[in-house]
Amino acid sequence: MNYRFQFGVVWDNFGALLEGALLTFQLGVIAFGGGALIGLVLASLKTYGPWLVRFLVDCYVVFITNTPALIQIYFLYFGLPEVGVRWSNEACLLIGLTLNAGAYLTLILRAGFLSVRITELEAGQTMGMSLIQQVRYVIMPHIAKSIYPALANFFIVVLVMGTSIGALIGVDELTGQAINLSTVNYRWLEYFTVVAGLYVVLTFIASIGLAYLGRWTFRVKAKIF
Amino acid sequence: MPHLAVRDVRAKYGTLEVLHGISLSIEAGEIAALVGPSGSGKSTVLRALMGLTPITGGDVMIAGERMDYSSARAVRTARDRMAIVFQQYNLFQNMTVMRNVTLAPTKIKGWSKAEVGAEAMRLLALVGLSEKADAYPDQLSGGQQQRVALARALALKPQILLLDEVTSALDPELVNEVLDAVRKLAAEGMTMVIVSHEMGFVREVANKVVFMDGGEVIESGSPEDLFNAPKTNRARNFFSKIIRH
Repeated sequence: MNYRFQFGVVWDNFGALLEGALLTFQLGVIAFGGGALIGLVLASLKTYGPWLVRFLVDCYVVFITNTPALIQIYFLYFGLPEVGVRWSNEACLLIGLTLNAGAYLTLILRAGFLSVRITELEAGQTMGMSLIQQVRYVIMPHIAKSIYPALANFFIVVLVMGTSIGALIGVDELTGQAINLSTVNYRWLEYFTVVAGLYVVLTFIASIGLAYLGRWTFRVKAKIF
Repeated sequence: MPHLAVRDVRAKYGTLEVLHGISLSIEAGEIAALVGPSGSGKSTVLRALMGLTPITGGDVMIAGERMDYSSARAVRTARDRMAIVFQQYNLFQNMTVMRNVTLAPTKIKGWSKAEVGAEAMRLLALVGLSEKADAYPDQLSGGQQQRVALARALALKPQILLLDEVTSALDPELVNEVLDAVRKLAAEGMTMVIVSHEMGFVREVANKVVFMDGGEVIESGSPEDLFNAPKTNRARNFFSKIIRH
């Protein structure tokens, strides 16, 4: 191999990469959080709603999970201006990612809803719990525990695969920053080597955080590796 | 006035009527035992009293007060007067023993934390599980879980306690530890309706035995009457089969 790595130029711009990493992390957290809210509402409707509502939820989930996230975001980015709606690049990415995550999280949360033990619900009812109290004290903690590993994995997917789509619509998250910088001096390999390392650091921090959060809050025996 | 009076109660699962007019009454401090073959509707009586199986006819009176099962809100009165312990314990798996016992009194009834905590410790001592307060249900044996369920039900200070085959899911060597706890409650004068297959136990603690079959009360009376001299053929058949082994 005749390629000579020259990392000096990367370190000169390391601050910009860190800014990108921070934006990536923020985008990931917000998209996942918003998606979780959507998923919670839709999974409830899918489980307890009337058939028309269940059908509409199915339509949304099937459409989103069977088309690439990039195309969904392109629809927002290129399609909405045609009908007079202009969102910033970041907003298109964030809303697209959130809607996308919402569909996947609907599926994950629905699995959680179905796993709630009817016996515990009956116990709660006979103790005088209202529906809201059952959701709060019985359903939510149970769901959280049973689907925690799936949720944690999906967060990593959003964080790494989801946010990097931003590079294609001019959002300066980690991948976008790397593309911007490498087009200046063509040190692609060096930049993306460092960026790969930064992604690993990000997901590592997220994994440890999630594992401890799970252990403390839901008694999940979450593994970090 | 009877403490609990059930008059001609009917109940349905979907379209299938499973209780065809059940009547029974017990005085305060008495223990009534529902016995009979599987599918006779014994557990359904308890579930109907707690509002888990819809009642389609008849009256339930507790200390002269008519219980209303017409809505989720109304049924809370019945759930306030009575507490039930299930065959499968139905503990909240994600909570400690202590939290299982204190959750409803503090969060649903809104009683003072300190008092509920002290009462919970007293109840756990009563069922012999003081040292397990911080354990989770999956760290306990079936008998221990069932005793926690008993303490949890008592923490709500029910006027009447319903026990639904509380020893049926237990290994034989664990049955007695649960029955001992129930004996203590009986000695304290707790009014109870129990569904049980432990005939020796029923004979020992029950003031009244109600024999059910096919969703109806066939015969009821004192344990001596029913066990020794059942008047109906169906009761005679049932008891002869049970006592044979």
